[in-house]
Amino acid sequence: MSGEPTTGSLGRSVRRKEDQRLVTGHGRFVTDLELPRMRHVAFLRSPVAHARITGVDTSEAVGTGVRVFTGADFADVELRAQSALPSYVETGQPVFAHGKVRFAGEPVAAVVAADRYRAEDGCELVEIDYDPLPPTVCAWEPPEEPVHAEAPDNVLLERTFTAGEVDETFAGAAVVVERDLVTNRHSGNPMECRAGVAVWDAADRRLTFWNGTQVPHIVRNMIAELMDLPEGNVRVIAPDVGGGFGVKAVLYPEDVALCLMARAMPGVPLKWTEDRAEHLLAATHARDHRYRMRAAFDGDGTLLGIDADVTCNVGAYSVYPWTAGIEPLMAGGLLSGPYRLAHYRATVRGVATNTAPSGPYRGVARPASVYAMEAMFDSAAARLGLDAVEIRRRNVIMPEDVPYKMPSRLVDDSGHYAECLDKALDLIDYPSVRAEQERRRAAGEAPIGIGVALYNELTGLGRAASAGPRMPFRTGHDACTVRINADGRVTVFSGVTSQGQGLETTVAQIVADGIGVTYDDVDVRIGDTDASLWGFGAFSSRQAVIGGGAAHRTAQAVQAKLLDLAAGLLEASVDDLRVVDGRISVVGEAEPRISVAEVARVAYLESHRLPEGIEPGLEATRFYDPIRGAFAAGAQVAAVEVDRTTGELTILSYVCVEDAGRAMHPQIVDGQIAGSIAQGIGGALYEHLVYDTDGNLSTGTLLDYLMPTSAEIPEMVIGHVSRPAANPLGVRGVGEGGTLGPNAVLAGAVHDALGIEIDTLPVSPSRVWEALHAQEVRA
Amino acid sequence: MDVHLIVNGERAHVDVEPRRTLADALREDLGLTGTHLGCEHGVCGACTVLVDGAPARACLMFAVQADGAEVTTVEGLQDGDGALHPLQEAFVAHHGLQCGFCTPGMLMTAAHLLDTHPGADRETIRAEMAGNICRCTGYQGIVDAVEAAGNARDTPA
Ligand code: FES
Ligand code: FES
Repeated sequence: MSGEPTTGSLGRSVRRKEDQRLVTGHGRFVTDLELPRMRHVAFLRSPVAHARITGVDTSEAVGTGVRVFTGADFADVELRAQSALPSYVETGQPVFAHGKVRFAGEPVAAVVAADRYRAEDGCELVEIDYDPLPPTVCAWEPPEEPVHAEAPDNVLLERTFTAGEVDETFAGAAVVVERDLVTNRHSGNPMECRAGVAVWDAADRRLTFWNGTQVPHIVRNMIAELMDLPEGNVRVIAPDVGGGFGVKAVLYPEDVALCLMARAMPGVPLKWTEDRAEHLLAATHARDHRYRMRAAFDGDGTLLGIDADVTCNVGAYSVYPWTAGIEPLMAGGLLSGPYRLAHYRATVRGVATNTAPSGPYRGVARPASVYAMEAMFDSAAARLGLDAVEIRRRNVIMPEDVPYKMPSRLVDDSGHYAECLDKALDLIDYPSVRAEQERRRAAGEAPIGIGVALYNELTGLGRAASAGPRMPFRTGHDACTVRINADGRVTVFSGVTSQGQGLETTVAQIVADGIGVTYDDVDVRIGDTDASLWGFGAFSSRQAVIGGGAAHRTAQAVQAKLLDLAAGLLEASVDDLRVVDGRISVVGEAEPRISVAEVARVAYLESHRLPEGIEPGLEATRFYDPIRGAFAAGAQVAAVEVDRTTGELTILSYVCVEDAGRAMHPQIVDGQIAGSIAQGIGGALYEHLVYDTDGNLSTGTLLDYLMPTSAEIPEMVIGHVSRPAANPLGVRGVGEGGTLGPNAVLAGAVHDALGIEIDTLPVSPSRVWEALHAQEVRA
Repeated sequence: MDVHLIVNGERAHVDVEPRRTLADALREDLGLTGTHLGCEHGVCGACTVLVDGAPARACLMFAVQADGAEVTTVEGLQDGDGALHPLQEAFVAHHGLQCGFCTPGMLMTAAHLLDTHPGADRETIRAEMAGNICRCTGYQGIVDAVEAAGNARDTPA
């Protein structure tokens, strides 16, 4: 009975719904909000990494007429990220530090004033006395003084993944590769920093919180619990959000503070706009890891076993709701990547330190774990005299191996890695790059190297696949409501959120095709918990699969009701009706009989014409949960020139081929891939959050924390292998894969060019130069 | 302090403290929130506006320094009749934006680039746009858009 539209919008790069307002300066970002009686908030942050707070004096600030809040005001409220994993040590995160501070940048007080300038003036008048404690900065050095009393060794979580017979396998191996790898702390750094506006309506006991968040429903749920409010009395609105990348998928103490302070100042909207210096100090960091890797191979390059010990620096707090397990558990679960492996042991741990908390960042741990895994192949290939491509081919999971149970027991349903690799090698013209490499070697010109990485991105995790961290909730489902209005146009209230991924557009495409109306007739509302029933939000490349699936199911349900009603009006059989571009026709007839708008009018305004047994209205709400996940295959290959004098890299060509399943909007898919590769390149070559031994961040501005610009990011070639996934739309998530390759590709390219192993990231000129120098000394 | 300036072709007046930045005056006093702040220390370029025709970082300039100047913000790019500027159109067509937060600054820098470097090739565009950071797009769509807008301008219909 469904109408197969002849002119659907899916699969076409339609004009994005978001763009008109964004290119004309009429976006609606949280900081653009201006409300009557609004006041501005500035947070006072700890200048030291670890200290006991011995005194708090706000009198001078209060004397100037500003309002000041400190730790004592909200001492009974704390964020507690929970996990049922046996080794997990649960710790709390205060709203404002009281008793002691655990990282430099932790909020200790807030000042509310007429404008931000005065709020910052007020902060300068608040006196906090600190009695320093010895800080821990490095996660693999023993603490002198623990960060949390509950974890004397600072270990908040430890788990060992095992499969097969690891020790026996290593004893019988032809080649054993051993490397200790350290990855660089960096962060998502969306161009819009964090922001919030909170207002408390005392008469109705209702809170409205505009928040630049990726997860408005999770925020509502926890704010309601912490403030002891009915969940329905909390409204969280995430309007236009200027990038997220995981950093905004966390509920922060600043968010809770804003809501609590708003309740203490009824009717006064409070606005906080984070500046970049605060963001670098106190928004979540990521990727500060050490991998002690051993890999066993047989003589022809077949991978036999992996034995790994992984330590992740999780910073001062276990972030809500993801816990300190987010990076270590992902590293242990996905370390073996898209390779066949029977014997596996990986002990992973999350260790607290006196640094900013780490949290989810696009790719979560895998940019580091893929680097660790690919480094094993690069080293083994060099030892065995094999080509870097050849050794990977021998070990990669093939379509005939699928479904493949990885040693961590995740099930890979893809198997299209070799196909991605082949296509990538074609696009870069592998034989001619190798020939050019040889030519340069012979001619003594600047060397070039080729780096390769294969990866599997686990996307769209359903209830079974999202069980890993054992949090008290499962993130497998989203809801969607689709309403055909009385004029025949469609409004969608979707649980998805967007920080640039174009979800208003994609959801409109799905619903337009699902009902049989035009793309222009569909409007999508997102990011408002009062409007949409439920959505977990943007993380784990889940929304195209899960939110998209919910939109598709709901559109079909609404179409069913539309056609039931039309069948009654037309006295036709529902099975004979088709709806295309907003017009309903009977199979076999040349002209449509009735428009969607005419049927919708009956549904709302002309109840006397409603067929027997049909209720007024044209609306449905459905959930979708894919139960399992969909693996997306990817391969990246690059050719890189190295300057022997300076150690500087120049990327000559960069190719990525991914299996995104069916591409609903090809331009958006390519944009996601290009953007994530650029972030990966930034992390591999430039971005590094550095703490000194006292725990002070020494890269506190964008002058020291180097984000790549159009001058550093090369032209990229993006190719596709489109193998539809087993879900209603055939899609695989595409948000994160691009970030997984660059560390491995660029470190691998340097290895290929010069024969030096890069064990510490980023691959900065000084590091390459030092490694080259050490090589010359050895020679 | 009284500051008189012309913003997007119209006379404007603000009364500001000397320390108030031009960005805050535009956003908060004049309600032109299209100009964004990404770093407030002069690196990211999100706050780029044209002051007397040249790109300026509105986060690094005090409002009082703009007294008597002509300022163009992203809100002033469109025609009087509301049609998109060719650059705005090209950014939409070539997916030159995702979240759109860097976009106002990108557009203003690109507008100046097209004026000063007619026929700019991709390499020039990449070099000239390097003062504006975008975290979303990987720059591919931005370079495509600026190149296309430049080509369209260089080939009169
Ligand atoms: S906000 Fe002005 S340069 Fe970043
Ligand atoms: S589009 Fe998001 S920062 Fe450029």
